[in-house]
Amino acid sequence: MSLGGYVVRRLLQLVPIALGVTILVFFLIHLVPGDPARTILGNQATTVRVKLLRHAWGLDRPLPVQYLKFMGRLLHGDLGTSLFYSVGAGRLVLQRLPVTLWLIGFGAVLAVAIAVPLSAFAATHRDRLPDHIVRAVPLVGLGFPPFWLGIVLLLTFGLNLGRLFPVGGYGSGFTGHLHSMFLPALTVALGIAPILIRSLRAGLLEVFEAEYITTARSKGLPERRVLIRHALRNAIVSTVSVLGVNIGYLVGGTLVIEQVYAIPGIGQLMINSIFERDFPVVQAVTLVFSVMVVLVYLATDVAHALLDPRVRFD
Amino acid sequence: MKARRPLMFLALAGTAALGVTAATALGAGHAQKAGTPKRGGSITIARIEDSQSFDKTNVFQNESIWLTEQINETLYTAGKDGKTLIPWLATSYTRSKDGKTYTFKLRKGVKFSNGRPMTSADVKFSIDDARAQSKGWGYLDAAIKNITTPDPDTVVFHLKRQWAPFLADIGLFANGIIPNHFAGQTRTQFYKHPIGTGPFMWDKRVIGQSVTFKRNPFYWQKGKPYLDSVTWTFVTDENTRELQLRGGQIQIDEFPPFNSISKLQHTSGVTMSLFPSTRTDYLDINESYAPLADVHVRRAISLAIDRNAIIKSVLFGHGTPANSFLPPQVPFYDAQSPGLQYNIAQAKAEMAKSKYPKGFKVTLLVGAGAQVESAMGQILQQSLKQIGIDVTFHQEDTSTEFNDIGKRKYQLGFSYWTMDIADPDELVTFAIDPAGGAGSFYTGYDNPAVVKLSHEAQVQPDPAVRAKLYAQLQVKAANDAFLGFLYYSPYRWAYSSKVHGFFVEPLGNYHLENVWLG
Repeated sequence: MSLGGYVVRRLLQLVPIALGVTILVFFLIHLVPGDPARTILGNQATTVRVKLLRHAWGLDRPLPVQYLKFMGRLLHGDLGTSLFYSVGAGRLVLQRLPVTLWLIGFGAVLAVAIAVPLSAFAATHRDRLPDHIVRAVPLVGLGFPPFWLGIVLLLTFGLNLGRLFPVGGYGSGFTGHLHSMFLPALTVALGIAPILIRSLRAGLLEVFEAEYITTARSKGLPERRVLIRHALRNAIVSTVSVLGVNIGYLVGGTLVIEQVYAIPGIGQLMINSIFERDFPVVQAVTLVFSVMVVLVYLATDVAHALLDPRVRFD
Repeated sequence: MKARRPLMFLALAGTAALGVTAATALGAGHAQKAGTPKRGGSITIARIEDSQSFDKTNVFQNESIWLTEQINETLYTAGKDGKTLIPWLATSYTRSKDGKTYTFKLRKGVKFSNGRPMTSADVKFSIDDARAQSKGWGYLDAAIKNITTPDPDTVVFHLKRQWAPFLADIGLFANGIIPNHFAGQTRTQFYKHPIGTGPFMWDKRVIGQSVTFKRNPFYWQKGKPYLDSVTWTFVTDENTRELQLRGGQIQIDEFPPFNSISKLQHTSGVTMSLFPSTRTDYLDINESYAPLADVHVRRAISLAIDRNAIIKSVLFGHGTPANSFLPPQVPFYDAQSPGLQYNIAQAKAEMAKSKYPKGFKVTLLVGAGAQVESAMGQILQQSLKQIGIDVTFHQEDTSTEFNDIGKRKYQLGFSYWTMDIADPDELVTFAIDPAGGAGSFYTGYDNPAVVKLSHEAQVQPDPAVRAKLYAQLQVKAANDAFLGFLYYSPYRWAYSSKVHGFFVEPLGNYHLENVWLG
């Protein structure tokens, strides 16, 4: 199958996945105890006012009726109206999505920037002290929960070392985003980098045993060229899959990082919407999350194939 | 008004991380310096929650209400003590002999931020609109029969009956004045960027990030506001807010946690203020559970609550034991009402008089991740064990907890109240009147003698007589122990020592027109 056909087939598979997600999310969120009207009106509201608001939002109708209405709107591209903000849930999600994409993208770039040189360094110094250090130190970093790591990075680079970076926020303009998102992206990167380092180091060590590397060396190619042109390119194929899986995982993992760094992304929107029982927004965010995860896995497969021509699309 | 609890697991971990650097905080907290106010500059206030809506007539969220008050002002407003009412957009009022007609004289020279003068037509339109909101605050204006405007500077309110809390009700933020006919817009359009007479006017909003108001050039208090603009940001994590304050990224941090008060009081460049509030925390006692319908059991529970231990453990000493269901910052609060204070011997004696002398089992509804409630619950569990009551915890997330209490699906639970008006009537009706809409604070409490006192106080024009009625009511309600009165706690605000004139009133509002940067 051609690449184009494969992509189209995978995109079509998104439709039943999205439908399944809508059913699952819609009924799960409604099964969770808690009432959006009571949550928004607070504990000082009378029962009558809570009932009036529930009625105004249509929450007093049977669940299947509410689901059909939700699906009817969805087919027209309408994700519903936020109960908290009284604006379109789709608009809220679209407004926040670029922020989260920035975080994930920047984090992935930093993770690669950390992992590639370190794993190459470790692999070329196999079983020596530098190798042991590269393998051990990032693992310690992996053990720290992101919210703790986030606060420590904020304290160190946002406050104690001369306020090098803002304490939270998204910034404005490209350079503003780059500046503000560095620490959050670093937190993301420090979470993935150890896994990438281990994967890439193992890949490199395997490749170093290959005959074509021996040939390259025997031709008198400089070690640096052998590493970059021959070893790294072949070793990175499996690491791309590892990165893809982790980015998929990160789509959900940004919830905590956005909270700590006060980043107005989709993860923060999700957490607050769950607290507020803002059903339409929770549904919209989950739908977008699921689509994002599928797209990331698709992109990973495509990248895998482009890097390794032996891979076939079935 | 409602508030929300933060993500506790993040808070805990972050607090531990922040503790690492607490030792680097230098010097003592700065007292606010007196001086001549300076004009110019902008401040950023970081708060726990984003604003929900700017429709003051229908919103119940503090993070929205306190912002609308910078734009929309009322005819009368609560004074700094939270008890008195002072003229604001009106300069005076007279009351007819039968107490059913109030005539207000409007302040001259007041303009909206669009430059148009405020007239009696605007006042009539604003309050007619507010009282028509059945899903909003309209119920507090239920005493109004109609409003007339004999001239542009005079507004007459005709009431259906005598109504003692009327002036306080008129001071409710929902009765803030807006331009007649929403200045030519639809209601929905108007409240997306409202117009008012307040010190600040709408500038911009990015939902989920920030709201910015800028100076109203037509503001009626000459020379005010001093600030060019104010931005409110939304930073859920309390540790991040504190770091932003210390780093100068924000100037005001709303509600730092109690456990960081002491540290912030000793942080260089930071003023940590505790403002007297109307917040009162309660133990909810649901009388639909048979043992809790027994007044002796309820009295025993109230007597067994070690309020000082709770204040020490939960508020780190920054609170006082509650003796009444009314807070000290509300008119007619009775400081002499003894309440039922901690006394285990008396608690045991009450249990002995009850139908359950050997005790019983009860569940306590606690918000999942709500540290304060968990800590209070543990103290309560230990105390009640001494009188034979075996408490088990039932954890729900806070949204569900609200919901369960509202539906009376609990036995014991926690809740609190903050006042919206400078009169006890709103709280008294909610708390003790079974017909008040909340089934007596969701407890099922019903004492006709107490309800009668409340109804008499509602129509009693003489403040001295009202004070006596409310004093009797507070003593009776305390003896019935329909709620466990826990503690009174202050509003906590940390701000840069460059910020001057910042004061939070007992109702929770703050007048930013008085704030300036030094």
